Amino acid sequence: MRPIAFSRTAAAVCVLLAAAALSVLAQPAQNASPAQQAIGKRGGTLTVALRSEPKTLNPALATDQSSQDVIYCMNADLIHINRLSQRTEPDLAESWTVSRDGKAYTLHLRRGLRFSDGQPFTADDVVFSFRVYLDDKVGSPQRDLLIIGGKPLSVQKIDSYTVRFVLSQPYAAAERLFDGFPILPRHLLERAYRSGDFSKSWTVSSAPSQLAGMGPFRLAEYVPGQRIVLDRNPYYWKRDGAGQQLPYLDKLVFLFVPSEDAQVIRFLSGDTDVLSRFSSENYSVLKAQAAVKRFHLDDLGPSLEYNFLFFNLNDLRGKNLPQIAEKQSWFRDLPFRQAVSQAIDRTAIVRLVYQGRAAALAAQVTPGNKLWLDPAIQPPVQSIDRARQLLKSAGFSWRSDGSLVDSRGKSVEFSILTSSSNAQRTKIATLIQSDLSALGMNVHVVSLDFGAMVDRLLNSFDYEAAIMGLADGDADPNTEMNVWLSSGGMHIWHLNETGPANPWESDLDHLMNQQLVTLDYAKRRRLYDQVQQIVARQLPIICLASPDVLVGAKDRVGNFSPAILEPYVLWNVDRIYGH
Amino acid sequence: MKFLGRRLLHSGVILLAISFFAFLLLRSAPGDYFDAMRMNPRVSAETVENLRAQYGMNHSFLVRYADWMGSLAKGDMGISLAYGTPVGPLLWPRARNTLMLTGSAMILSWMLAVPLGVWSAAAKGGWLDRICSLFTSTLLVIPDLLVFLLLLLMAVRTGWLPSGGMTSGNFADLAVWQKAGDLALHFALPALGLAIVSLPLLLRHVRSAMVEVLDSPFIRAARGHGIPRSRILWRFALPAASNPLISLFGLSIATMLSASLIVEVILSWPGLGPLIIQAILSRDLNVVIGVVMLSSVFLIAGNLIADVLLFVSDPRIRVE
Amino acid sequence: MNRRYTFWGVVILLAAFHLVILSAGFFSPYSYSEQHRDLPYAPPSRIHFIDSQGHFHVRPFVYGWKYDAHSPGSYVADLATPYPVHVFAFGSAYKIAGLIPSRIHLFGVDPPGSIFLMGTDGYGRDQFTRFLYGGQISLAAGLIAAALSLALGLVVGSIAGFYGGWLDNALMRGGDVFMALPWLYLLFAVRAALPLHVPQGQIFLLIVAVIGLIGWARPARLIRGVVLSAKERNFVLAARGFGASDFHLLRRHILPRTYNIVLTQMTLLIPQYILAEVTLSFLGLGIGQPLPSWGSLLSALQEYYVLASYWWMYLPAILLVPVFLAYSQIANALQELFSPVAL
Repeated sequence: MRPIAFSRTAAAVCVLLAAAALSVLAQPAQNASPAQQAIGKRGGTLTVALRSEPKTLNPALATDQSSQDVIYCMNADLIHINRLSQRTEPDLAESWTVSRDGKAYTLHLRRGLRFSDGQPFTADDVVFSFRVYLDDKVGSPQRDLLIIGGKPLSVQKIDSYTVRFVLSQPYAAAERLFDGFPILPRHLLERAYRSGDFSKSWTVSSAPSQLAGMGPFRLAEYVPGQRIVLDRNPYYWKRDGAGQQLPYLDKLVFLFVPSEDAQVIRFLSGDTDVLSRFSSENYSVLKAQAAVKRFHLDDLGPSLEYNFLFFNLNDLRGKNLPQIAEKQSWFRDLPFRQAVSQAIDRTAIVRLVYQGRAAALAAQVTPGNKLWLDPAIQPPVQSIDRARQLLKSAGFSWRSDGSLVDSRGKSVEFSILTSSSNAQRTKIATLIQSDLSALGMNVHVVSLDFGAMVDRLLNSFDYEAAIMGLADGDADPNTEMNVWLSSGGMHIWHLNETGPANPWESDLDHLMNQQLVTLDYAKRRRLYDQVQQIVARQLPIICLASPDVLVGAKDRVGNFSPAILEPYVLWNVDRIYGH
Repeated sequence: MKFLGRRLLHSGVILLAISFFAFLLLRSAPGDYFDAMRMNPRVSAETVENLRAQYGMNHSFLVRYADWMGSLAKGDMGISLAYGTPVGPLLWPRARNTLMLTGSAMILSWMLAVPLGVWSAAAKGGWLDRICSLFTSTLLVIPDLLVFLLLLLMAVRTGWLPSGGMTSGNFADLAVWQKAGDLALHFALPALGLAIVSLPLLLRHVRSAMVEVLDSPFIRAARGHGIPRSRILWRFALPAASNPLISLFGLSIATMLSASLIVEVILSWPGLGPLIIQAILSRDLNVVIGVVMLSSVFLIAGNLIADVLLFVSDPRIRVE
Repeated sequence: MNRRYTFWGVVILLAAFHLVILSAGFFSPYSYSEQHRDLPYAPPSRIHFIDSQGHFHVRPFVYGWKYDAHSPGSYVADLATPYPVHVFAFGSAYKIAGLIPSRIHLFGVDPPGSIFLMGTDGYGRDQFTRFLYGGQISLAAGLIAAALSLALGLVVGSIAGFYGGWLDNALMRGGDVFMALPWLYLLFAVRAALPLHVPQGQIFLLIVAVIGLIGWARPARLIRGVVLSAKERNFVLAARGFGASDFHLLRRHILPRTYNIVLTQMTLLIPQYILAEVTLSFLGLGIGQPLPSWGSLLSALQEYYVLASYWWMYLPAILLVPVFLAYSQIANALQELFSPVAL
């Protein structure tokens, strides 16, 4: 058995970043309007490579990126987030009203729309869809987004074209929730749902006639291991500025190309028309050939992914990990974490790991997230002197051979865990290892397979420090609740907390809960700025860098307007056309 | 016949043993399929626990093994957690593709290895021998993956061969002879790559087996009798050297299968490779077990064939 | 006569090579983990004797690298600052034979100059240094694993072939089971069970040793085939007739016939186990940073951008070809030596 270097395939496996296109974000009025989309020409085929085969075509079950990418092209939601403007826009719901208390949303559906099999779309489909998403027996990964304030939201049909959603408490920017909940056809799925077979329906090998969606494309053919072909949905309701029915393309072909390098090479050879999710190294290699081979590459700037180092601050009582528990006295020491942060050369990470196509970070919000970034917080500049002062102030000292010891004379030695499926993070760890050796710390880089790493982080707590990355499909703070609340399931540095362990964690709890129910963007933003300041000051996680979103397309692809929200290049697939 | 019957029975027992131990092994590694989902900030721990319970992940080892045996009887081999479908139907089309590829690569590599090995043994130290040994040493230091990557690059630069997949997009619309041509073109690159990476091993063994036989008294005697060189080589020496080569043939099926996993990933061949690699990393255990069982069947079949051949070709063994 | 000289020539060269590998600290100018962060992917330094004015220098020198203003990401020689190459230069600390601390290196240049005979990797680490140090662990790993596989294979294979019957059946079927099992998961488990602070080199050797232990089935099968036919040969039957013990028969008459296949396997298995790391590292079971190994140097090559942009990253692979070639030459020569012609 000798599998291989599709290191970043594996990264895709890491659902860390598998952020769906589900989401939430306040609605800022000041944002730019979407780029003007040109009137295109009908016809043609667009070929795209997927890193892995889609596992399912069922929108309520998909957890992996490939499935979500395909499902995105076949389905539509009630309210949609324009990936470029990051604002919501009406989709299947043509308008909506919010009750004064901010708890009830009444959505008015477009009339006369049809699913891709020609059956009409009504409020029954909407009610059915949300019943499915909310059913805990279905186990939809989106389900938790609909549980607000501990209670599921309720859905009510007012008439055939009006639906009311009621929340148990006000929820900031709730209309953004609807993106990521594609509407399912009741007439095709209800029987399976009632008989308990829902999880077996709409697999990749289902017959095309069994599937229908409201998106621009529908299933035409699936060849196991090779490709999935979609063709135009003849009932798609959108039209371009000239009144021409969308989508422009006749066909959309997804090839399964399981390694990044193979994807890059096949893009070069002209087999595929667009390219995304590739490394900055490959970007440089491709760039050299762009003019000759008639394609172009775009660096969209920092993504929403933030990579960070964190220490194990978990409560280890009852865990029988005495050595780690002993080291926690350093990790819990703020000057120690500050010294580590201060000693890390973030510019070297940006330069050596990402070839400059990344941004150094001070806190979790990346410069790509313009609406929520607190520009007052600057990423720290490496200063070994300052780091040494911090350590000295906390009672650390140095032996004659330069190694660091704590006040009890114990050598400072710890390991940093990374996932071997992510080459970049292992590289970051290696740079940090070298940086920290300048402080006299003896750091080991341990890269484990993803399963083993997650097991240590979430279950056994048998680790000292780790590097991880997180990203959301949208830029809204609400999607980060699980990370920052002390009770959150992704409160990664200290899980299963019974209550906030210290004052700043209780401040974080308070601020996050507050922003959740604050409906005014400016106020929310001030609250979230404070969250970032606390993160930058207290360093529960030491934020490092955010890689840029890199994409490429052949020159002949029209209306190519990639965005930093997933799916980067196919979000406007209904308007993409071939010259 | 009795020999064969007994061997088949043994094979069944072996497969059973493999499935049991494979189950044990898979459970020894930390982490499970749903851990990845737990790392998604939007999914709560309760939801994940629910799913775990739904798929019977909390059951004891023996219960799960029994469940699996039950579904094996139905031809399902359990449910893939990632695909949400039975494993069997996932495997069959891909196994066919993998077998077609490894089969043709096998034929190609033996067709190259036997004459090259025989000739280099016959002219030991000659130019062909030197070239072959340089070639094998070079290939031994190049990871398989790199060979495939270089082949892929070559295909892309020259444009002579398709750079991946098994059929062209318009395959369904082609005439029968065009289909055959299209398939052959897509076969060429991966089969060649596999043949190249498995060649050093075969070549060295053929050569060393031949060298030994060529030194033996009966060949010297034959030479003394003035029997033509080529007749000595092919008619006397090669059959005499075939014993270890037949064992090797059985083993090379397994080697070929594991090498094909990589070539399939690099050249997007729709076989078992991409499926199992993803399954290994995401801990989709039923798929891993399915592929393990399937390749065990191939492996055992290979060894069985080798033993039967050995039985037929070497009278000394038959006597026993 | 001539062949003999070639043989000894090869042996001496190989011995010298291994000596250099063993004393990597002395022959390499840097430490394997030293990062030159301003010089990632710098091409090999050229050794000059004649400067830009055309003057000849007895002491060779190198130029520093600076970024090429015309093509970003590549370097040009900075002709303004030549750095003479010193012999027995003073540099980073290492230990001779793992015991005696020293700071003397065979050659080196004064900072801020740098000398990279084989260029640098993505962290600006000297590839030449890493190649030498990498040999230490990789050769050890390859040898240990191959020896384990072959020793087990030899024992199991000859017992199975010699005694035949149910024992043969049980051992060979056991081998089938062994070959078919997904051992990768055992490796995951072994790796995960190890504490985090076990030194990276030891973990790696342990993992490779496990692979070697698992790998017995293949050689066993091949050896069994040979034993099977050897024991029925007339001279063996004759010896048995004279009342030779099983042990005597195995040792004197049958095992010599397996040397051939053992040697061939050895020359195949050592490189194979060295390369196995390429796969292991992908699965998180490879050697931990910053330790170098040949496997990790080679696995860098399989990234498309490295392949396409940095030719010097091929150098480790190119250097290993003659090494493995020399192994197989020696194996061939030994094969002739052991060839049981006399019988």
